[in-house]
Amino acid sequence: MISDRVKSNLKQTFSESLLPKLGLLLLVSIVFMAIFAPVLATHDPTRTGHYSDQGTAYPPLGQDLTTQIAQDGDIVEVTVEPTSEHILGTNNVGQDVYSRFLYGARVSLIVGLLGTSMALAIGVPFGLVAGYYGGRVDDAMMRIADIMLAFPALVLALALIGVFGQTPIQVPDPIVLAGLADGMPESIPIPGMVTLVVALVTWVWFARVARGEALSIRNEEYVKAAKSFGTSDRTILLKHVLPNSLTPIIVLATIQVAVIILLEASLAYLGFSGTTLSWGYEIERGQDYLRTRPWISMLPGIGIVLAVISVNLLGDWFRDALDPNIEGEGR
Amino acid sequence: MTMGKFLIRRLLQGIFVIWGVITIMFGLRAVSPGDPATLMLGEGATQELIEHVREQEGLNEPIYVQYFDYLQGMVVGDFGYSWISNREVEAMVIERIPATVELAVAATVVAIVIAIPLGVISATRRNESADYGATLFSLLGISTPNFWLGLMLILILGVWAGIFPTGRRPVGFAEAVMTLVQHGSLYDLGIWLQYITLPALTLGTYFTALITRLTRSGMVDELGKPYVTASRAKGLPSVLVRYKHVLRNTMIPIITVLGLQMGTLLGGAVITETVFNWPGLGLRLIDALNARDWPLMQGIVVFIAIAFVSINIIVDSLYTYLNPQVREE
Repeated sequence: MISDRVKSNLKQTFSESLLPKLGLLLLVSIVFMAIFAPVLATHDPTRTGHYSDQGTAYPPLGQDLTTQIAQDGDIVEVTVEPTSEHILGTNNVGQDVYSRFLYGARVSLIVGLLGTSMALAIGVPFGLVAGYYGGRVDDAMMRIADIMLAFPALVLALALIGVFGQTPIQVPDPIVLAGLADGMPESIPIPGMVTLVVALVTWVWFARVARGEALSIRNEEYVKAAKSFGTSDRTILLKHVLPNSLTPIIVLATIQVAVIILLEASLAYLGFSGTTLSWGYEIERGQDYLRTRPWISMLPGIGIVLAVISVNLLGDWFRDALDPNIEGEGR
Repeated sequence: MTMGKFLIRRLLQGIFVIWGVITIMFGLRAVSPGDPATLMLGEGATQELIEHVREQEGLNEPIYVQYFDYLQGMVVGDFGYSWISNREVEAMVIERIPATVELAVAATVVAIVIAIPLGVISATRRNESADYGATLFSLLGISTPNFWLGLMLILILGVWAGIFPTGRRPVGFAEAVMTLVQHGSLYDLGIWLQYITLPALTLGTYFTALITRLTRSGMVDELGKPYVTASRAKGLPSVLVRYKHVLRNTMIPIITVLGLQMGTLLGGAVITETVFNWPGLGLRLIDALNARDWPLMQGIVVFIAIAFVSINIIVDSLYTYLNPQVREE
């Protein structure tokens, strides 16, 4: 599968350059932050309104909330600047920016990793079959890939969400269930449909790479030998072609995690997030308050940049060590 | 293969791809929830009226009849009517093309003007501070979501520094050129330039970063080839070798990647236009999507696909024309 030569290449590139180390450190920090978000958070990220006597008073901004407050007759601050209680301030409906930043990492990572896995699961078999059989089968399958490529990924994703909807799946939060964080939401919304959609618009890049590999591997002596023994195509594909195509697929998968995190953020920014805990959604929410409360949009953007940089640094490391000839798709 | 045969094959492939896009969009609309007639008329419509519209729009026909009607319309350039505004989709698409093309061209210009010198410097001064700077810049460029970059540019250069305007642009390129022709005044052109700068930077940054990386790695490869050493040994000035021979050989693969990435540029335009309220196709697509206005959505997506396929055919032909090795194969 992964040869010793590849392993030693990886090690050598890692020790020679600072960038892979930085990428790994960043990614580990973000993963830590995502897992322990309920422990690290200071407030329930979904709780709106703010009844504190600290901080600078702003006129309430969230419209629904304003009405509700007026009926109750309470005087309430809704948006606050960074204070000792809300260390990074609150957004326009009074939710804690810092706590939402932590939870946002979960959405980005889950969609990024799950989306890439799904795209792999669709694209790799597709590409291997096309490349291995070649000829008419390959022609027909690659024309399908051409059609997929003619859609800008974001545009097709938007159209698909229009059909599938964006209802999230509520998953119990293991950290809260373990009793590590009191007062935090017991379940977290996973944007399942959005994850499926990003996989459906990016699998074709895996198909292209897998096909290219299969095309060259099928002419190798060991494949011909296996065929002459009467080994079935299925076995050859699984035992010979797939393991020998893995290297470039791994490189591409790393790049695609970054691409998918950006794609999810873009969808969320446009209002198709599936969950309001997404960083992209929060940036959109802060857009109207850019002049007066710029911190609402700033922090989640920094989160996205750091997450994507960490994955891209690892992707560059893999590529430098393993395969210099791959370019993934962008936004 | 001769050039003519090559072109015909690419054209046929292109037509097939566009048919596929049209079919997928039709399929998506067919399975999408919600009754079109109700969407068209709004909530409070009477059952009678809804039935009338269904009949009129052919929505009671079997699905394959609807499909062939739709395909037939597309072939003759009839994209149907918008459900929301009841205007012709072609007109709604065409009037938004200039703004998007202006933005895409401006972004590409930004990218090429910044990226190629940056990539060349990076490649020729490897492992010096200029190279590290360019590498860091391109890493940031491919890692920053462009909508956030746009907002930060608005905040920093628009709101805080007050250098660029942040509202919706008052004048398009064509109108600005008209002012120049009719009144000899550059005023409108200046306004146009002020308004397009931030969106073009926003959309162009990813490309700038991508081309910088490609130029750097391409140049590094080329510089290591024997002909470079040979030219230098002959006494050719290194500047000439670098820009005339090495850069030219580097450009061929870059052009191909750019063609393939045009879809990304158009997708990026959707987001950039939303951030800057830029009156292009992307903004209209988002409006259509939010209103579930399927004919308009389909029209815009099919148009984008046609543009993408055409650009790629042109790029492929150029590539074949420029590179005799490919032509021979």
